[in-house]
Amino acid sequence: MRWWQIKKRDEDLERELRSDLELEEAEQRENGLSPEEARYAARRAFGNAALIREQTHEAWGWANLERLSQDVRYAARQLRRSPGFTAVTVATLALGIGATTAIFTLVYDVMLRPLPFAQPDRLVTIEERVAEWSNIYPTLPVSANHFTFWQQHNRSFDSMAVMEQGSVPLGANGRPLKVGVLWATPGIFSVLQAQPLLGRAFSASEAQPGNEHVVVLMYDLWREQFGGDPGILGKTVLLNGFSCMVVGVMPQSFHMPSVQTLATIGDRNRVLPVEVLEPLAFSKDTLAEDMGDLNYFGLARLRPGVSVAAATADLDALQHTIGASLPADETATLSVALTPFQELLIGSNRKPLMMLLAAVAGLLLVGCANVANLLLARAAARRQQMAVAAALGARRAEMVRMALRETAVLAAAGGGLGLLLAAGIVPTMQRYLPPALDFRGSLHLDWAGAGCALLLAMLTTSLAGAAPAFMVSRTAPLEVLHSESRVASESRGSRNVRRILVGIEVAMSVALVLTTCLLTASLVNLMRVERGFTTERTMTATIDLPIETYPDYQHRAAFYKEVLDRMDRLPGVEHAAITSILPLTGDGWVDMARVAGDSRPFTQLPLESFRSVSPEYFSTIHLKVLSGQVFNQSDWGRNLALISERTAKTLWPGKDPVRQQFSRGDPATAKPFTVVGVVANARTISLSKPDPMLIYVPYWYRCEPEAGLVMRTRQDPSEMADAIRQTIWSVDHNVPVPTVRALGSVVADSLANQRFEMDLLLLFAGNALFLAGLGVYGVVMYSVVQRYREIGLRIALGAQRVNVYRLVLRDGLLPVAGGAVAGVALAFGLARLVSSLLFQVSPYDPMLTAGAVCMLLAVGTAACLLPARRAAAVEPMQALRAE
Amino acid sequence: MSSMVKQAQQRAGLLQGTLDMLILRTLLYGSAHGHQIGKHIQRTTNEFLQMQHGSLYPALHRLEKRGWISAKWETPPDRNREFKYYRLTDKGRKQLLVEESQWKQMSEAVARVMWPVVEEN
Repeated sequence: MRWWQIKKRDEDLERELRSDLELEEAEQRENGLSPEEARYAARRAFGNAALIREQTHEAWGWANLERLSQDVRYAARQLRRSPGFTAVTVATLALGIGATTAIFTLVYDVMLRPLPFAQPDRLVTIEERVAEWSNIYPTLPVSANHFTFWQQHNRSFDSMAVMEQGSVPLGANGRPLKVGVLWATPGIFSVLQAQPLLGRAFSASEAQPGNEHVVVLMYDLWREQFGGDPGILGKTVLLNGFSCMVVGVMPQSFHMPSVQTLATIGDRNRVLPVEVLEPLAFSKDTLAEDMGDLNYFGLARLRPGVSVAAATADLDALQHTIGASLPADETATLSVALTPFQELLIGSNRKPLMMLLAAVAGLLLVGCANVANLLLARAAARRQQMAVAAALGARRAEMVRMALRETAVLAAAGGGLGLLLAAGIVPTMQRYLPPALDFRGSLHLDWAGAGCALLLAMLTTSLAGAAPAFMVSRTAPLEVLHSESRVASESRGSRNVRRILVGIEVAMSVALVLTTCLLTASLVNLMRVERGFTTERTMTATIDLPIETYPDYQHRAAFYKEVLDRMDRLPGVEHAAITSILPLTGDGWVDMARVAGDSRPFTQLPLESFRSVSPEYFSTIHLKVLSGQVFNQSDWGRNLALISERTAKTLWPGKDPVRQQFSRGDPATAKPFTVVGVVANARTISLSKPDPMLIYVPYWYRCEPEAGLVMRTRQDPSEMADAIRQTIWSVDHNVPVPTVRALGSVVADSLANQRFEMDLLLLFAGNALFLAGLGVYGVVMYSVVQRYREIGLRIALGAQRVNVYRLVLRDGLLPVAGGAVAGVALAFGLARLVSSLLFQVSPYDPMLTAGAVCMLLAVGTAACLLPARRAAAVEPMQALRAE
Repeated sequence: MSSMVKQAQQRAGLLQGTLDMLILRTLLYGSAHGHQIGKHIQRTTNEFLQMQHGSLYPALHRLEKRGWISAKWETPPDRNREFKYYRLTDKGRKQLLVEESQWKQMSEAVARVMWPVVEEN
């Protein structure tokens, strides 16, 4: 029944009762009573009108609803009377529920929300496995040659596609816009079951070299850059210097996750979201490379009913066929690795997220324990009241309801506020989404999150309200009412429950504080680790050369040489250099060096990471040259190389590597490199592990369109940002310079995820610590008030103030100590989850463990001191006289 | 004091469960409003059943909810204001028969215990 119906019926009843009352009154008057007497007589005959109404309501079946609203009103009135308690409780619950909901929303978005494609569970990614390289690269991207073979012979997939992601300049006049592009084979549309909103998908012929200059725009780009032009089809846009005809526009709901391949693994820079789709066309040479060119991201749609395992077996068989037909110098054992698309996108984000979720749930538990504690104290203070109610015949169920209604109102208020808090926090977490999964538009609180908040509110009600309700339900009126003390004393059972609750709070806090300490120590270690290069007064910039104007290595190298020459002439510049990839922004070109005289098949050669750099690179970032020397500009055109110490030890163990030779590719045709120097090992790919074997070749040997510029200055580097851009643009006005940053912040950004995790944990741990302190304070203060007379008596009998302090502290610190032990046990139990997130810190680190426990003990002691001081200040005469 | 309480309990006990039947039976004569129903029961029992409004109105509304009676605000010819008139529905008529026969069985059973017919032996 709706409320307005209820209201109408109630009005109706009232009218009926009133009219009948008037009739009764009239009748009494007819019997000869005076009007006054008649009215009283009628009222007497009628009885309690309110009661009649209530009983009638019961007949209608909405007594429950009425009782509920009464409960809420009553609870609200009670809570208004103790604003401090209410504020603390609601704030605790709001914080716990809000934070948990926010983190849950993040976890849901990353791990649980289905990908926005038809039957997303049938989408799998394909990676290749090469047994010979598996110790360095467990899996590798797909080769065009193998892909073509699979496409022709597999029996497990509806459709397959390979793709590559990057960014290219769009337009030409002035500074072009940089857009994210996905080059994909035409199968992409049927793999994702997505069709363009306007126009058409790529045709098979557009995947042939020479026909590939067509483009499908994403909806947002079409709206923003082309004003949603409905006649865009058939027009041409300038993409990467080429005129491309627009053949389609994707619908607004289509979003493409970022597909990173080996070349970008470890790249912590934001990848541009995919804004245009272009056909991926393979040249004859590429298709002929039966073991090179492992470069593409493979994505496929399983046939209905085909399992991942069956599809893997199918492709493994095809891989075996390919492997058997490889030439002798390329023998390799090939297989594939299929991973559900979503699982691959989640990647390594699972563990940190689970840890955050566990941490925030811990905080919520601490909050719950605290609220339960406060409620218990309140219930104890109300024992007298409850006993009277019980003595007057209140049923047990009724009393439990009375005890629970306050908790329910608190939880509703806390849950509501928590929801608001989460709605505020969630959008700010967008930037912590892993780049691969940040493609669905803005992150916001949705029904999943709201449902989570509701569930948490209900859970907290039952958790926090259970103990007080249980206590109330066992009220023995006689015992309570007979107890002589007017100040209701707490039962032993209730006090023990409160101690256990404080113990739980402390345990969770210790675990949280310890985990936070471990992660903080890891981050400090990562920042402090010997990375082999310096960042002081060093600026970086990234450059993207348009392919049209800089089609080959010679043009690009000439451009860079000119830029470097002009940089060197800038006042305040100490060194400037070009590198194929900036430190800590990813790995890049991986290749195999063949030492002169080594005739193994190339699949058995070790893999090295290559960098092409200008001579000044080493002095700019202070990468130490251990022996030999650096190539210089006068060596222009010569194939020289510097190698890292690790490479030297692996390729030429026990020999002096300087003047040794190696080649990449076929030694018969390729010009060999001569090693001129050895460079110290460093950490330029990830701070958390030493670099693999590195080989530095001169930039005149090979120059990609994307490169990084590093520059060491004599003055404050931040003033140089503009000068860097102007210098580059003075050479060519049309070259995009996407980023200019200090090297220090590049290094710091490479740890952004860890810092985010640490910041959140720090927040959670701080809160948990505060709540635990509050819990200890509450319990101890309460027991001091209870034992007022006892303490007075002790002092009167000669107890020293010190003894009183000791008494109170022992009482308060007992649950803290117990909780601390449990907390350490809990943290050690979770060590396996945490250890993979740590860097050079043991999850059992004794110093940090001791530190966390000490921190809790300090907080506990501080929380005990105030009540202890109050106890010690008890005036015996006053205490004993007071009833 | 105590005798009054006893008396009230006696009446209440008598009324319980049978009030519904009495209301339905009263309405068999035609529609009536709450006050009339109460007065009628009271008068016909020679004031033995003192109508308590606290049970009359919940009973009326309960019967209405079950669909045994219907209610309508009407103005009687001799007055110039509306009263809420209750009327027996077809369903209510059937229910009255059911309750009546149940009551008959019950009272006969009670009577057989209380005033046994002495059988010849």
